[in-house]
Amino acid sequence: MSLTTGAPMVETELRAASVPAAQAKPAASPIRKVGVIGAGVMGAGIAAQVANAGVPVVLLDIVPGGAAKATERMLKTDPAPFMQKAAARLVTPGDIEGGLPLLADCDWIVEAIVERPDAKRDLYAKLEAVRKPGSVVSSNTSTIPLSALTQGLGEVFAADFLITHFFNPPRYMRLLEVVQGPATRAEALAAITDFGDRVLGKTVIPCKDRPGFIANRIGGMWMQSAINRAFDLGLTVEEADAVMGRPMGVPKTGVFGLLDLVGIDLMPHVAASMKATLPETDAYVLGLRDNALITRMIAEGRTGRKGKGGFYTREKGAGGESLKRALDLTTGDYRASDKPQLESLALRDLRALAEHPDRGGRYARAVLLDTLAYAAALVPEIADSVADVDAAMRLGYNWKYGPFELIDRVGAAWLARALAEDGRPVPPLLAQVAEGSFYRVQDGALEYFGTDGGYHAVPRPAGVLLLADIKRRAKPLARNGSASLWDLGDGVACLEFHSKMNALDPGTVEMIGKAIAMGRKGGFKALVIHNEGEQFSVGANIGLALFAANIAAWGEIEGLIEQGQKAMRSLRDAPFPVVGAPSGMALGGGCEILLHCDAVQAHAESYIGLVEVGVGLIPGWGGCTTMLRRWAENPRAPKGPMPPVAKAFEMISTAQVAKSAFEAKEMLLLRPTDGITFNRDRLLADAKARALSLVEGYAPPEVKPLRLPGASGRAALAMAVQQQAALGRATPHDVVVCDHLAETLTGGRKDHTEETTEAELHALERRSFMALLKTPATLARVEHMLETGRPLRN
Amino acid sequence: MTDVVIAAYRRSPFHLAHKGALTRLRPDEMTAQVVRALVAEAGIDPATVEDLVLGCAFPEGEQGLNAAKLIAFIAGLPESVAGATVNRFCGSSMQAVHQAAGAIKMGAGDAFLCAGVESMTRVPMMGFNPMPHPGLAKDFPQAYVSMGETAENVARRHQLTRAEQEAFAVRSQQKAAAAQREGRLEAEIVPVEAAGKRVAEDGCIRAETTAETLAGLKPAFRQDGTVTAGTSSPLTDGAVALLVCSADYAKAHGLTPLAKLRSVAVDGCAPEVMGMGPVGASRKALARAGIAARDLDVVELNEAFASQALACMRELGIDETRMNLDGGAIALGHPLGATGARITGKAAQLLQRQGGRYALATQCIGGGQGIATVLEAV
Repeated sequence: MSLTTGAPMVETELRAASVPAAQAKPAASPIRKVGVIGAGVMGAGIAAQVANAGVPVVLLDIVPGGAAKATERMLKTDPAPFMQKAAARLVTPGDIEGGLPLLADCDWIVEAIVERPDAKRDLYAKLEAVRKPGSVVSSNTSTIPLSALTQGLGEVFAADFLITHFFNPPRYMRLLEVVQGPATRAEALAAITDFGDRVLGKTVIPCKDRPGFIANRIGGMWMQSAINRAFDLGLTVEEADAVMGRPMGVPKTGVFGLLDLVGIDLMPHVAASMKATLPETDAYVLGLRDNALITRMIAEGRTGRKGKGGFYTREKGAGGESLKRALDLTTGDYRASDKPQLESLALRDLRALAEHPDRGGRYARAVLLDTLAYAAALVPEIADSVADVDAAMRLGYNWKYGPFELIDRVGAAWLARALAEDGRPVPPLLAQVAEGSFYRVQDGALEYFGTDGGYHAVPRPAGVLLLADIKRRAKPLARNGSASLWDLGDGVACLEFHSKMNALDPGTVEMIGKAIAMGRKGGFKALVIHNEGEQFSVGANIGLALFAANIAAWGEIEGLIEQGQKAMRSLRDAPFPVVGAPSGMALGGGCEILLHCDAVQAHAESYIGLVEVGVGLIPGWGGCTTMLRRWAENPRAPKGPMPPVAKAFEMISTAQVAKSAFEAKEMLLLRPTDGITFNRDRLLADAKARALSLVEGYAPPEVKPLRLPGASGRAALAMAVQQQAALGRATPHDVVVCDHLAETLTGGRKDHTEETTEAELHALERRSFMALLKTPATLARVEHMLETGRPLRN
Repeated sequence: MTDVVIAAYRRSPFHLAHKGALTRLRPDEMTAQVVRALVAEAGIDPATVEDLVLGCAFPEGEQGLNAAKLIAFIAGLPESVAGATVNRFCGSSMQAVHQAAGAIKMGAGDAFLCAGVESMTRVPMMGFNPMPHPGLAKDFPQAYVSMGETAENVARRHQLTRAEQEAFAVRSQQKAAAAQREGRLEAEIVPVEAAGKRVAEDGCIRAETTAETLAGLKPAFRQDGTVTAGTSSPLTDGAVALLVCSADYAKAHGLTPLAKLRSVAVDGCAPEVMGMGPVGASRKALARAGIAARDLDVVELNEAFASQALACMRELGIDETRMNLDGGAIALGHPLGATGARITGKAAQLLQRQGGRYALATQCIGGGQGIATVLEAV
């Protein structure tokens, strides 16, 4: 039996979906159609992101049919380049041969073809014959100087041309490096900067026309140093990656893991292009060396994850299990991977690590000196401000700290002394900052050290509002260990979570209560729920639940569920508007908070879902109730008591998570009227504007009772679950969890001739939640999740 | 007393639900297009038609509100034509034929349009609001057993291997593909207009099916099972219409009947092996016709699943050389309410084409029953 109702899923109208976000925008972008030439990973990915933003895009490739194939392939790629499948419809594929006229009405044409200046110039010459006056042309080159690209193409082209350098994958990497030439029109630069920022959601960093721009120049140096020093100092790949990882704030792949990820064969290409364009005296060029082991690995096809293994590989063990193996850098053979055991790795302080005498400490010191001195010597050559350099490294390489923030962490003076000790030159900017730091907070504002020797406020583009900036200049209206309440100005407050992974606990619930009480007293006229953590919230703190269950504190647990439900209702029923503004994961309880907001302004990269069944529970804070209501009120759902139940059951029982805000709309986790913001830095401002727009004439929503099918519906759901069990897709405990979920969603003993109220449904949610928490299989799931981070399939 | 004859048989192309060419076509509209073509081709005055009897397994949504009478309106039939929608799940439109035959025999009309339809895209199997009786579901769960589960039960009880089922499915696909290639399906198909496009050919048939491709599929219903999507009939959209009338009416209107009805039967069985329903029903019908299985020249035995088709063949003593000559539901598709009329019309058409004397059309029905019709050449 299929419970799919057969009704078409709510198709999100791409254009309509972007309207609420557009309301918060000062003006529409003059760029209404985009062309991308070159359907390789970068070109296709850029086209997908343009389509994600609801802008039609022409994608052309040199290979006949290549663009269509690339679009098709992207629909199957994970992580997905498209935010929803429907976005692919906005991509018009074509061939370069014969397809250039398709670009005639494009306002921006991005070139992402092979990195050969002559090939690019040939293409540009052809573009001049088709593109419309005033359109902008940009190259996604990462290696070719702008001056070489505009050569011989005339003044008009030079005025309309710039470099726009995206990072891979374009949907997920937030950095967009932009390089203008001496002839580039100011309006062309402004239009692309604005489109990149507001529409595509990128942080646009202006760069000088220097090889590798900012991120790859410094990133390349860091990689070179991290590899060479590891060989020189005799570190294992695990040790090197562990030192690079958490202590330096580099993603946990470290350097060798990163090489495996991007492809080890990329290295010689990067080296060759940097060598060809940088002066011989450049520290990067001076540090280039032939590495016999890496040369051999590339020759043998051991190029990383895409090839036959890399610095790490996986092998099948005797029992068929997958074993992680690591390359021995001295012998070139694989061995079992070890957890590194270095005393220095226990140190939290970066300077202490760099001063530690073991090889981990010496390695950290060497790589820090190489990388940070190089970065310090490159301002103003590659960028005008250290803040831009730091932003580029954070967003382009996912470093937690940019190089100048790292310098502040070890101390500028310490770094200068260490360089001097080693007999190395101290870059002028580092000497200039002397005993000071590259950043300071003055009168609540973040300032950076400029090349003029003075401090300047870190600029924020108009329409960017960061909670971090507010926190620097103000004290919270209220605070506890889990959450705080801040004043955003204009009568809007912000409820911020700040527990680990923003897991929800009694402190969070208490702060919700405090916020509502404060608002009721007239303390503010609208509330935004937002934080700048990686994840909006991963859900309720199940560690606390497990602890309470282990001491059989059932009453306390049920009390907490009840208080949570009350808090959710109070968000919705408050006499002022509440707007949720998530970015990253909003799971379980985090999702339920959003479900009770009057409106949501979501970052496009929001991953929302009710995932409780993964730990053997069901949503207990009104998630079941609200999803039922969402589907019952959906005009496109079939009539009758079962469709809302079947839809909610299908989603919750499979712990489905929306992989973007657009998917969340398809799943009704967001409403059609909820807004989507592409640029994370603009999310809070958009949410605040949304909240203020709801203030006038605000009345809390009316909550209507539902008509639910009762036992008949529960029997239908049980049949569907039995079929899944027969196929081995539902485990024995899944069947138990699903039955409790079914009982709740169908209204328990209710019949469809009578109304089921929210209070009755909340009571059912609590009862099912408590019943499941008392089963050993659910407790085993909770424990397993806490230990491994993965669901137990028992 | 006058004989009952099948005077005409037409159907829409059959297409996969959710992905085929008919997903945007309403089932009532689809049926009306087929009925209109059938009436026009027969050249009869529609005012002489007593009733439009429509078989449909899930008569709700666009198939609801007594779709039979609505289809009569859409097809432009005169107001005097009545309409009844009948439901015997997969046997619905064969039931429509039986009802018409009974009425003709008792003098309650001379000509009937017997149609069948199912848009499994637009009205889901189980309906929009599946609400089983909780007590029955608990005490006698097989009343609601899934069709796939019954196919597995039959395969186990009759020790049918996966390879045997797959070989059968491949043959069904090959027969259907050959029939399509050689234009043998054209006589029965009415091109329909779906979302502005003309659809003239069947869409379910997979000519490229081989035993190797089927062997690669995962079990569809039980983790350790032998039944796959390749050995099951697919979810299908389609509509069928027959003109069922008295021999006298046919003669008076210059019609050349395809075959006459000799006997009919229904028979209940255990729901968990509903696929065996054709055995009891066919035995009854054959006995009522006074013939044996060996006397049959043509057999249309609906292929809900390869396992039940094979098991029924064995039990009834029917060999494949005279069965489902142009392919069966595994290849052609199985729009639940439309299938009974299709296999009845097809058996009549084949009887004429093959020049045989007796034909049997029979099928299994979810919930535990079978239905059968014995035809005789005219």
